[in-house]
Amino acid sequence: MAMSSKQIVELNVNGIPHQLLVEPRKTLADVLRDDLGLTGTKLGCEHGVCGACTVLVDGRAIRACLMFAVQAQGPEITTVEGLASDGELDHIQKAFAENHGLQCGYCTPGMLMTAHAFLAENPEPTREQICEGMNGNLCRCTGYQNIIKSTAAAAKAAK
Amino acid sequence: MKPPPFKYHACRTIDEAVGILDSDPDGSKVLAGGQSLVPVLNLRLAAPDNLVDINSIESLDHIRVQPDHVAIGAGTRQYVVERSDQLHSVLPVVREALSHVGHSQIRNRGTVVGSICHADPAAEMPAVFLTVGGEVTAHSAAGTRTIGSDDFFESYLTTALEPNEIVTQVKFDIPSGRTGWYFEEVARRHGDFAILGVVALVSLEGDTVSRARITIFGGGATPLRMTAAEQLITGAKASDIGGDLLERAAIEASAAVRPTDDIHASADYRRHVAGLLTRRAVTRSLERAGSPA
Amino acid sequence: MSETLDLREQAIRKWGSDNRAIRKGKWIGKPARRLEDPRYLTGAARYVADLELPRMLHAVYVRSPHPHARIVSIDKSVLPGLGKTVFAFTGEDLRDVPPLIDHVALDNLLRTPQPVIAIGKVRFVGDAVAIVLAADRYAAEDAAELLSSVVEYEELPPVPNVAASGASDAALLFEELGTNEIYREAITHGEVDEAFAKADRVFSTPFEHNRYMAAPMETRGVLADYDRADQQLTVWSSTQMPHFLRSVIAGQLGLPENKVRVIAPEVGGGFGMKMCTVPEEIAIPFIATQLGRPVKWIEDRHEHLIAATHSKQQSINLEVAVTNDGKILGVRGEFVGDGGGYSFNTESALIEPALAAKALPGPYRIENYREEVGAFLTNKSPVAAYRGVGWTAANTARELLFDEAARGLGIDPAEFRRRNMLRSDELPYLSCTGQVYDSGSYLESLDKALEAVDYQAFRQRQEELRQQGRYIGLGISSYVEQTAWGSESSAQAGTPLPSHDNATVTVDPSGKVTVAVSVSSHGQGHETSLAQIAADGLGVDIKDVVLLHGDTSNTPYGLGTYASRSAVIGGATVARAAADVREQILQVAGKMLEASPEDLVIEDGKVSVAGTPSRFKTLADVAYAAHWDSEVRNSEPLLSATRFYDPPANYANGCVVALCEVDADTGVVTLDRIVAVEDCGMVINPMIVEAQVHGAIVQGLGGAMLEHLIYSDEGQPLTTTYMDYLVPTFSDVPPIEVISIETPSPFTVGGIKGMGEGGQIAAPAALANAVADALAPFGARIEKLPITPDYVLRLMGKIG
Repeated sequence: MAMSSKQIVELNVNGIPHQLLVEPRKTLADVLRDDLGLTGTKLGCEHGVCGACTVLVDGRAIRACLMFAVQAQGPEITTVEGLASDGELDHIQKAFAENHGLQCGYCTPGMLMTAHAFLAENPEPTREQICEGMNGNLCRCTGYQNIIKSTAAAAKAAK
Repeated sequence: MKPPPFKYHACRTIDEAVGILDSDPDGSKVLAGGQSLVPVLNLRLAAPDNLVDINSIESLDHIRVQPDHVAIGAGTRQYVVERSDQLHSVLPVVREALSHVGHSQIRNRGTVVGSICHADPAAEMPAVFLTVGGEVTAHSAAGTRTIGSDDFFESYLTTALEPNEIVTQVKFDIPSGRTGWYFEEVARRHGDFAILGVVALVSLEGDTVSRARITIFGGGATPLRMTAAEQLITGAKASDIGGDLLERAAIEASAAVRPTDDIHASADYRRHVAGLLTRRAVTRSLERAGSPA
Repeated sequence: MSETLDLREQAIRKWGSDNRAIRKGKWIGKPARRLEDPRYLTGAARYVADLELPRMLHAVYVRSPHPHARIVSIDKSVLPGLGKTVFAFTGEDLRDVPPLIDHVALDNLLRTPQPVIAIGKVRFVGDAVAIVLAADRYAAEDAAELLSSVVEYEELPPVPNVAASGASDAALLFEELGTNEIYREAITHGEVDEAFAKADRVFSTPFEHNRYMAAPMETRGVLADYDRADQQLTVWSSTQMPHFLRSVIAGQLGLPENKVRVIAPEVGGGFGMKMCTVPEEIAIPFIATQLGRPVKWIEDRHEHLIAATHSKQQSINLEVAVTNDGKILGVRGEFVGDGGGYSFNTESALIEPALAAKALPGPYRIENYREEVGAFLTNKSPVAAYRGVGWTAANTARELLFDEAARGLGIDPAEFRRRNMLRSDELPYLSCTGQVYDSGSYLESLDKALEAVDYQAFRQRQEELRQQGRYIGLGISSYVEQTAWGSESSAQAGTPLPSHDNATVTVDPSGKVTVAVSVSSHGQGHETSLAQIAADGLGVDIKDVVLLHGDTSNTPYGLGTYASRSAVIGGATVARAAADVREQILQVAGKMLEASPEDLVIEDGKVSVAGTPSRFKTLADVAYAAHWDSEVRNSEPLLSATRFYDPPANYANGCVVALCEVDADTGVVTLDRIVAVEDCGMVINPMIVEAQVHGAIVQGLGGAMLEHLIYSDEGQPLTTTYMDYLVPTFSDVPPIEVISIETPSPFTVGGIKGMGEGGQIAAPAALANAVADALAPFGARIEKLPITPDYVLRLMGKIG
């Protein structure tokens, strides 16, 4: 069992710079959760299918389970904890609350991050575009209906 | 589900990356977008000693559209390629095919070159590369060489690359003449690898088919050119390509694929759909060639 | 018939005399937004995986790569740092922990004790062989990989399916039983042979219900912490049944129950899977007691797919005897469960076939019925509960067969159902299998669903499109859903289990309300819906109610959340406790306002004299006085009450209609639309009810179209990642429209019925019938799920 030696990793998460000592094999998702205590980012499959670990890297949605923290030095990383400001939910979080867009909450952080990236590129999406754009995030509770509704409502609210 | 330990190398230059690969070709893996490799590592299906990260090599991030080809760097993300209007204007099939690659999060990180080098026989980009034609540029300590698309895919997840080589870019040929294209895949869900899919380019000179390229993916250990079907229609007049010729092309395609049963579909199904998609591909490509979009 | 009437009378007498009133005010029936949402939306919600304790060790399992094998040796000495930085436990190390055994009260059911880590023998790929621990998850996985590579096995012949299991020369999973068939029983209701002898036609279908699973977004997970000084064990588990789990852990580990605390923190979906006690929930706490350090185990998705409980798989052979005009005379059904490597604890391998057999009649008038139930052991992950246990398979087989019969008789499938469906005025009705349907709207649901899709217009369009070579289909699936799992409901389901649940409602000195319940939320929104009941009971705003659940140290004893019981039981216990506290408040307020308590009302947080709103005290004033003013306080001053409820069985119902189009070339099915009519009695929060229907339908859709846990003939699981096990994504789901009918239960408090499973029960048949309807010109008969493009082309005769 070869131990891989730890190295210093500098991350910029939700606007705050961090300097950490981690093994290079540690995924961005695990570093966010274990080393920074940002447990809002969830692990659902750890092989890039479920989307629960989605975070924004320079505004683009990526799977934090398929990227090593050591690779994430430089860009601005945004997690679910970075969405609300001063306790005030942002418009997408509000839309999810108002449209019952969540049940158990486990997929919700990843869903919100994908919705952010998606709506930034598609400010007036159709139902079909929402489905295709959000399709990399699984939810097992809602049957997606109210997430689609929430995302559409968030698009409307942004206008 | 955590990756095994490895030595991580954030390379700044191609030479640096090539040097590491050359020192331990069998124990090293190249990490580009990581969307295929990292799941494999997380599942501990591979345990390389060295991970050669090429993401920081700036010269690898490019799309260059030339009169006869498009060059895409090994660091260029799929979403960038997907959104390139310049590339789309000369090779519209690429955008359509990319929209079927995984999901937005995968394409935000994954690279076109990485997908081609991973050589999953049911993946979209290897099939596009084989259909469009072109070459990859491979670097090693011994120098640089190019490998043509027809010689690149050897077997399941296996290419003509040597373990000490790194692909730095792929060139896609731009077809000449009035060219129509087609892409379709049958998958269990959107974003999944295809059960079976087709990519086609058909060029016309006047009313005559001057060149036809049809690739079935998911129908064997590599993406497969349907050469017999291609030959059937090449030289034919577009107006003559109807029921009988299409039927023969479909039969050729069904006979040419080498599918196996898996949990998503039987070999029979794949043979059937290979014929069907070939027929659709020829018909739609001809329509598009006749009225260029 | 007279016996039926008698029982109906008895049921009404038994439950009708009970106090069923519920106080409805501003909240019950309103789509109140969820109070719990902000913490989920901000990432503040903490699930087991998010919890950390000082000196915590991470546990990783070594699991069997073989379906059936003897464990020859496990050489722990290969692990560097063993006993210092790395720890390992095998089955032998846990020999003193008793095995888990089901507790179904049936004498002729053979038992399959399951050690919490395998001892001597493994019985499925994924069976636990050892647990390895280290301070870091990555290091623990490294050690587990190493240990895994040195376990020596002697492979035994695999038993991959029921056919192999029942073969005369089959290898035995439990040699001591002498057989792999652990149960076989036939029961006849009515005059079945006569019915079949009289029939004009008999239709039959063999049906293979696929093996699929709940696969919640949060996998299973356990964190255990043992304080050696106080001999106090605390276990955080992703469970639906914290109190029950505490009882089991205490029993298994020989600890006094008051020294065990179980906490279900945020639970990321359960769907029934997280109700049974799993071996990991015993092994991890045991190891924590041995090491005196906190131990956390978080299941990964690969492990979940191979080693968490599977569900739904059974084979059903169904025959229906009918007259030419479509009247059902009798039904015969054989239900055979493929139980996996162990007949799982809690409900045994009968959970699928026995529950299916009892529920088979559904909303229909079936008086003559023979049910035969069998269960076999196979070298696969054990089968346990998942939303719609047994009922999904029963509904699918029955509704498919009824469509088949209707087609064969040349009767419209909706009309065939109407001719056999129980009318509302026939309820309460005692089904031939002993289920007392309290009330419902079976025909009305069917009609409303068909009206919503404009049934006649659809048939016309279908005919037109067929002429063009396009195939659209419509599938109907009517259902009755047994809910409110209490003592009576479980007995009527055929697996008796005494029930016990409570709620405590307390008004504190500031006048705010705390409700502690024994039901346990994992996404259902109890913090809102049960607050709505408390708020109406006490005349306050829901924002003034805090709901406690999931922690055995601050909630009253009870069984938790499963089998659509929490709205009925949670609702009733909260309503009754709130009513008691209301009386206590009125006593105090009466003294303060110099009025008789009967003349007082509570509204908007104020207690006032009825008709004289200006004579009031705020609830805060009254609560303060109740605690601190010895002049007015009650003899028992706490404003608090705990109430119990063991509900009568009751039955929700509804109808799901699905519309699809089949691509006749590729076999790809496109789902166009789903309409669901849901009648769950009095609705507490329609927004939550609608969303439960959405979720259940899509899980049923998954089972019908995509999800399949496949094993090779050698017993190897082939669906071991989310790339192979296909759960529905956004793009797989059509718009779902939910229509509500409210037929209150005449038996329960408030007329509440349970709900949440109907969608999963009914959706597979609706979808399968839609495909079969589309493919009717090809004479297609669906005999298995899921409906893959490959299967569709086979049904059409295009391949195979």
